[in-house]
Amino acid sequence: MPDTLLFAAEVTLNGLMAGVMYALVALGFVLIFKASGIFNYAQGVMALFAALTLVGIQQGQVPFAHLINAVFGTSVHHFGWTVPSLLAIALTVVVMIALAIAVERLVLKYLVNQEPIILFMATIGLAYFLEGFGDVMWGADIKRLDVGLPQGLNSVIDETTFNIFGYGFFIDNLDIVATVIAAALVLSLTVYSQFSRDGRALRAVADDHQAALSVGISLRYIWVLVWAIAGFVALVAGIMWGTKLGVQFSLSLIALKALPVLMLGGFTSIPGAIVGGLIIGMGEKLFEFFVGPLIGGATENWFAYVLALLFLVFRPQGLFGEKIIERV
Amino acid sequence: MKDTTEPHTTADGRKIGGVLMEMRNITLRFGGVEALRDISFDIRAGEVRAIIGPNGAGKSSMLNVISGFYHPQEGEVWFRGQRRPSMKPYQVARQGIARTFQNIALFDGMSVLDNIMTGRLTHMHAGLFAQALWWGRAQKEEVANREKVERIIDFLEIQHIRKTPVGRLPYGLKKRVELARALAAEPMLLLLDEPMAGMNVEEKEDMSRFILDVNDEFGTTIALIEHDMGVVMDLSDRVVVMDYGKKIGDGTPAEVRANPAVIDAYLGVAHD
Amino acid sequence: MARVRLASGADPGAEIPAAAAGRGGSLLATETAPDGALQSIPALLARNARRWGAEPAYREKEYGIWQSWTWLEVAEEIRGLALGFLALGMERGDHVAIIGRNRPALYWSMVAAQSVGAMPVPLYQDAVAEEMTYVLDHCSARFVVAENQEQVDKVLEVQESVPAIEHVIYLDPRGMRKYDHSRLHALKDIEAEGRAAHERFERELEVRKAELGYDDTCVMLYTSGTTGKPKGVVLSNRNIIETSKNSAEFDHLRQSDEVLAYLPMAWVGDFIFSIGQAYWTGFCTNCPESADTMMTDLREIGPSYFFAPPRIFETLLTNVMIRMEDAGRFKRWLFARFMEHARKVGPKILDDKPVGARDRVKYLLGNLFVYGPLKNTLGLSRIRVAYTAGEAIGPEIFDFYRSLGINLKQLYGQTEASVFITQQPDHEVRPDTVGVPSPGVEIRIADSGEVYYRSPGVFVEYYKNPDSTASTKDPEGWVATGDAGFIEPETGHLRIIDRAKDVGKMADGSLFAPKYVENKLKFYPSILEAVVFGSGREMCCAFINIDLTAVGNWAERNNLAYSSYQELAGHGQVLDMIQSHVEEVNRSVAGDEMLSGCQIHRFLILHKELDADDGELTRTRKVRRRIIEEKYRDLIEALYGGKDEVYTETEVTYEDGRKGKIKATLKIRDAAVVETQARMAAE
Repeated sequence: MPDTLLFAAEVTLNGLMAGVMYALVALGFVLIFKASGIFNYAQGVMALFAALTLVGIQQGQVPFAHLINAVFGTSVHHFGWTVPSLLAIALTVVVMIALAIAVERLVLKYLVNQEPIILFMATIGLAYFLEGFGDVMWGADIKRLDVGLPQGLNSVIDETTFNIFGYGFFIDNLDIVATVIAAALVLSLTVYSQFSRDGRALRAVADDHQAALSVGISLRYIWVLVWAIAGFVALVAGIMWGTKLGVQFSLSLIALKALPVLMLGGFTSIPGAIVGGLIIGMGEKLFEFFVGPLIGGATENWFAYVLALLFLVFRPQGLFGEKIIERV
Repeated sequence: MKDTTEPHTTADGRKIGGVLMEMRNITLRFGGVEALRDISFDIRAGEVRAIIGPNGAGKSSMLNVISGFYHPQEGEVWFRGQRRPSMKPYQVARQGIARTFQNIALFDGMSVLDNIMTGRLTHMHAGLFAQALWWGRAQKEEVANREKVERIIDFLEIQHIRKTPVGRLPYGLKKRVELARALAAEPMLLLLDEPMAGMNVEEKEDMSRFILDVNDEFGTTIALIEHDMGVVMDLSDRVVVMDYGKKIGDGTPAEVRANPAVIDAYLGVAHD
Repeated sequence: MARVRLASGADPGAEIPAAAAGRGGSLLATETAPDGALQSIPALLARNARRWGAEPAYREKEYGIWQSWTWLEVAEEIRGLALGFLALGMERGDHVAIIGRNRPALYWSMVAAQSVGAMPVPLYQDAVAEEMTYVLDHCSARFVVAENQEQVDKVLEVQESVPAIEHVIYLDPRGMRKYDHSRLHALKDIEAEGRAAHERFERELEVRKAELGYDDTCVMLYTSGTTGKPKGVVLSNRNIIETSKNSAEFDHLRQSDEVLAYLPMAWVGDFIFSIGQAYWTGFCTNCPESADTMMTDLREIGPSYFFAPPRIFETLLTNVMIRMEDAGRFKRWLFARFMEHARKVGPKILDDKPVGARDRVKYLLGNLFVYGPLKNTLGLSRIRVAYTAGEAIGPEIFDFYRSLGINLKQLYGQTEASVFITQQPDHEVRPDTVGVPSPGVEIRIADSGEVYYRSPGVFVEYYKNPDSTASTKDPEGWVATGDAGFIEPETGHLRIIDRAKDVGKMADGSLFAPKYVENKLKFYPSILEAVVFGSGREMCCAFINIDLTAVGNWAERNNLAYSSYQELAGHGQVLDMIQSHVEEVNRSVAGDEMLSGCQIHRFLILHKELDADDGELTRTRKVRRRIIEEKYRDLIEALYGGKDEVYTETEVTYEDGRKGKIKATLKIRDAAVVETQARMAAE
């Protein structure tokens, strides 16, 4: 097999796996948008916040240490214990649920029936608040996140491909884990929304608020539920990205990568988010590999947006989005 | 004339019980406009109660008060012998009051079956974690509810559209699916907002038959709004007549028909 | 081979062509009963319960799930019902009317009635009350088994005028709680009472069953009739069982077969398939959930033996075509390409004719990608034998199914024949014939061209109507079909031209066969119904009914706005399209020398669908020519009067029996005709 083809295959695989990571973030957007029509600008920050919280809990950091020290003149930073990863994740889930409740109680409740743009602005506010709040709570320094996920070269794939093609594929273990987890996540979300009581209620609310109320669905409960699920998805994305890049402010910017994914996949489709993520991930890696060298590289920064733009022109509702029909 | 305010058995063998719901001196204002002025009436268990009146008489406002979508400034709502505090629509639904809408509020993107299943939500108890962790139990609950829903599908003769997305159905069938969803809740009180609006003669007759059958078969108390007087008179046990937000008549169809105020409101003749 | 001879005519009798199976051969009717004691349906039931006790006998979809009953369970159900009927006082020779859609319990009621020596009389469930009155009164039904409230209401409505009715029994109790139950019973209560009192009636039931003879009445079926009052066709056990046996052998039906029972229970075909053949061979009868779910249920059951009138096959094909129009380009290309191949070799493969290896491989591929999935969506993937009858089927439609590998065949039959007169043997299937005489059937053609037959299935008599019986069946047992036709000398296949009384002469003496032309017109998907006039006239003219589904779809694709059937029917472009069809038909008719006079010179599109409720069609949806001629006299006058358009008002009956009026101005078009030597085209 010619080398170029092998490289391309490897790049494609890596691209697909990167795509899964994008899709994880996009998924959170889709969930909230579908259920409440809100474009949650804070989704990226939620991932950051979740990752910060996880690291903080795991390492036994004292929350609001700087604040406490400044006010009381103390110098506490650590409780002096470390929390096992699984327990830390469970606690973080609790925190994300609490966050969802707080968002509903303190923000959404007052904005019922407002224009989408108002709600969007509210989420921008939320994003900045959460970013600052995370800093104050856990400190602004870059942290390493390790919950025991395997990382680095997968030697089995490397050896197998080397034996077959005479060229070892470099596939990161973390990417493989991310793919498996993303698949499990999507599967369980789908089953949940199709067959469970709350899932059905969720779809009902997404479809028609008035009708949902009349069958006894509490909108506020559903909103808490959706934000909690989105928070959970943010945590998963936060863990993946945090493990890969370290927990730092730039983590919240991955939300920007999710935008083109959403444009491609549609704002209301869970499979759309996945396929969109895969296309973007694979597309930008292949483009960089084949075209990048010809035009001076660094195409990964803009390729996704240009692709999304082209897509918007030809299919504004996205790959799987509900068809936009204008009746004249 | 028989006293219709006491529990009794109707000529066709249905049992009418005590007062299920009572509206006491309800006044509802939007800004300065009075949509409902000091209205009182009751609904008895097992009866078909109609609220009629010309367009703009305040019928829909009344229904929205009962179902918790509007909250009156004055007056009390009594349900099952207790004064009802101000409630959200979903809380009202959970109390056993189901409703349909004049303009049909269905979940267009979901199948007929799923739509009707949402009507069972108030009867499903497996919580969030139970759903996630004890899948089996939630599954059992799902099956039991599905069985109830299938009986309603059979009852309303909509087997052929079970899997069809509601958005694709014609108007008359949508109305029927909405009734099915309300029935799925096994409500104590069923509120129907203009169930025959926009239907042709045949569809109206089907709907009338279904309403009577529901009342007869399940003993469901039904309160319905209509502006088409003819349909209502055949269907209901007692009728409240409204005009310009006021109650102008209340009684059996025969009594109401003989009431001069009602005749005026419908014929548009002004006294004095 | 059955004898074919000529004989002089007799009066045309009642009609109702019908349906299903058999290997044509020299089998003559056996004069004695088969297998000794198998002389009645209850006797067959007992045998089935012994031999196939654990095999499924009936299925019905209820509450979204297919419920099934084994032969043993069915025998037990029927025994309970029979005991209940005895407890209710059902006597030998009583008539028991059965009204409702195809449901196991109603079939069981029929066999239970037979078990106690009574005679089931299934009625058309969509009959209006007055039609029902006549039949109930004519057979003096003491018992009526009705499916639900709707049917019970109809019976109660006519009860006044039918004093014979003593008990009304219903299946579905919904809405009936408040009814007066002095003479009204739930079927399941009857069964419970019967079981409770089984000790008293057990012996009586055995005695009654043992009495059933081969020449006793099995069932009485009323023919809807194109003219006059319905006639009660009495069919004996011999008629039903001999016919079922012969036809089951002809098509090698077996116990593992599955049928879908969805056609009216009052129709002889359903009785033969769902009772006669089902009890003879022991196969399973499947009942749909409701009339509206038939297509879904067909798909879920996937019957192996299937009957449908041409109309159903047309609808199925139209649905496929509509869906293909909406499919993606690749899918359409694949479909077109493989269907073309199927049309070329499919029928040959089905008929075991030589086909090249390369074509066979391509057909296999097609089966994998196109034919298989298609048959699956149609619910026809397991079909071994499928029949159509009642009306001629369009050759393209017929070929379409055969090219997919579906063994669709035609048969020709009547109520009076217990269905089978002729049928097509495997490998001898053609769209333009109705096959060879069924086993045990003799055929002859009268001078008038009318077809006569004699067989073990020939009915006993018309109930309480000896005159009609005598004029239909001669002392030797020959029965007039009322159809004109001929036997193809080279193949021995029967070809039907038209109703004998409808084959007339035009003013210049040339042959006028309206149905022949109408059928050609109806082969176009956009034409639902056509009525051609011309008897005793200078030229032929036609009424056309468009098919709302097909034309509506076509209109949508062509951006034609319309708000009603009437508006669509009057649209200029629709008229253009129909005109092109009419002209094509004219060219084809001109090709047949004998019938070239039947070309259509002028036509109009009717403003309403011809409807059985308005008396324009029979319940089996056949055109009632005379009634239409009477009702639309003004339109016919306009057609022959040379006008360009005509204003008309038509009375219609809604489903609830109310009447209304439709007003319309219809355009009349002239169609091009092919000049032939025999006749100069008018004008």
